[in-house]
Amino acid sequence: MAGSRLEKLGTVFSRTRDLMRSGALAEAQKPLWFEVYAAFPPLREPVYREPRPRYGKVTDPIPPVLYPEDAVRAKFYEAYGNGPKAFELSQLNFKSTCQRFVEKFIELDKEGKTEPEKLFEETGNQLLAEGIILRRKGTANVAQQTLQKTKTSDLGLEMNLQTMFEAKERQQRKQDQEEEHLESADVQKENPLS
Amino acid sequence: MAAARLLRAVAPRFRGLESLGKAAPRTSQLSSRLYGTLLAPEANPPADPNAINEKLITEPLKHSDFFNVKELFSLKDLFDARVHLGHKEGCRHRFMEPYIFGCRLEQDIIDLDQTVKHLQLALNFTAHVAYRKGIILFVSRNRQFGHLVEVTAKDCGEYAHTRYWQGGLLTNAHVQYGSGIRLPDLIIFISTLNNVFEPHVAVRDAAKMNIPTVGVVDTNCNPSIITYPIPGNDDSPLAVELYCKLFKMTITRAKNKRKQMEVLYGLQNKAESG
Repeated sequence: MAGSRLEKLGTVFSRTRDLMRSGALAEAQKPLWFEVYAAFPPLREPVYREPRPRYGKVTDPIPPVLYPEDAVRAKFYEAYGNGPKAFELSQLNFKSTCQRFVEKFIELDKEGKTEPEKLFEETGNQLLAEGIILRRKGTANVAQQTLQKTKTSDLGLEMNLQTMFEAKERQQRKQDQEEEHLESADVQKENPLS
Repeated sequence: MAAARLLRAVAPRFRGLESLGKAAPRTSQLSSRLYGTLLAPEANPPADPNAINEKLITEPLKHSDFFNVKELFSLKDLFDARVHLGHKEGCRHRFMEPYIFGCRLEQDIIDLDQTVKHLQLALNFTAHVAYRKGIILFVSRNRQFGHLVEVTAKDCGEYAHTRYWQGGLLTNAHVQYGSGIRLPDLIIFISTLNNVFEPHVAVRDAAKMNIPTVGVVDTNCNPSIITYPIPGNDDSPLAVELYCKLFKMTITRAKNKRKQMEVLYGLQNKAESG
């Protein structure tokens, strides 16, 4: 059976068709898929193209996918970090804290009662009223108490560590002092002998 | 006698003349000469199997979606299976740009409207090839889904190759396996890249051996030589499971349809001759 192994020249279909036209392939040797391809051709002819990189000024042809809510999301993540609740990717209709914040923000914006500068804080307050505590990263503004609690617990830990260190140092000093005493005692003993 | 029965069946209004024909042999010859055209119906089912085969094979090509592959999946199914998720911006292949919808935080998002069209074409093609009793070979060098692909192929009754591809498998088949070997009529790639993120050798070899290919191309793949590319995610387990399910359903559907049609045409043939 005749064949054409030139994969960089034309398509599979064009090569087989031309082989049959020239007589190298008999009608009986027509491949199975030939008529199917002829009836349902692909959207693009599978011609070989050399994958060369772009030269000169390279402009990215792919547009970025951005929504107007993304500005709100950026502000949220900047202020509150990752948010109190972790993302559950296994649920398809999962709503994260950030998403609830964004929806509340848009709602308040539509109502138009609050000024644009105060919208961010207002949404935070409303979510607090609903029961979601948002911890700011860095500055201690909202939920100071929880922050202080964590600080005291940290201090407690530090205190423990400090006391441990001090105790150890005291021990070491005691040991050194004892050694000195012993040495001095030896020296004193030696002296009268000498 | 058979001729007379056939004449009765085909041209009932010539009953009177028929008796004339039966009466005397001379008159039957006369009738056969006079009504020579009437004998044509007898020659109509010529070599029965050939004609039936012709009709059997060419009939499905006349419908745009003979196997109704459109109902097998929807755009939402593709979205839920995360088919639209591509790789990062830096991995993007230049020829995949027409199939990409946009880039969200440096991750490429594949255009699912185009994927739906491409997937329909590809599934339709595989169905027709399976209907014509073609050999289909599943190829994937992605180790995570090797077993799944092999199981899918086994369930369809087709073949799979998910291990190391020896150089002359297609191009040197007659030497490696002996003459008279039949090569696959369609190769389906669940992933067109091999383990070093280069195009799989089988893509080029299939083009060399004039074998059409159907392949799932991710944003870092080269779709130029693949006959029916399907732009989509080839790394998520959900996506690959979806593809395997769809291919298995189309191939089994096509094979069952073939059996159905053979029985149908067999019955028709019997009705005509009997």
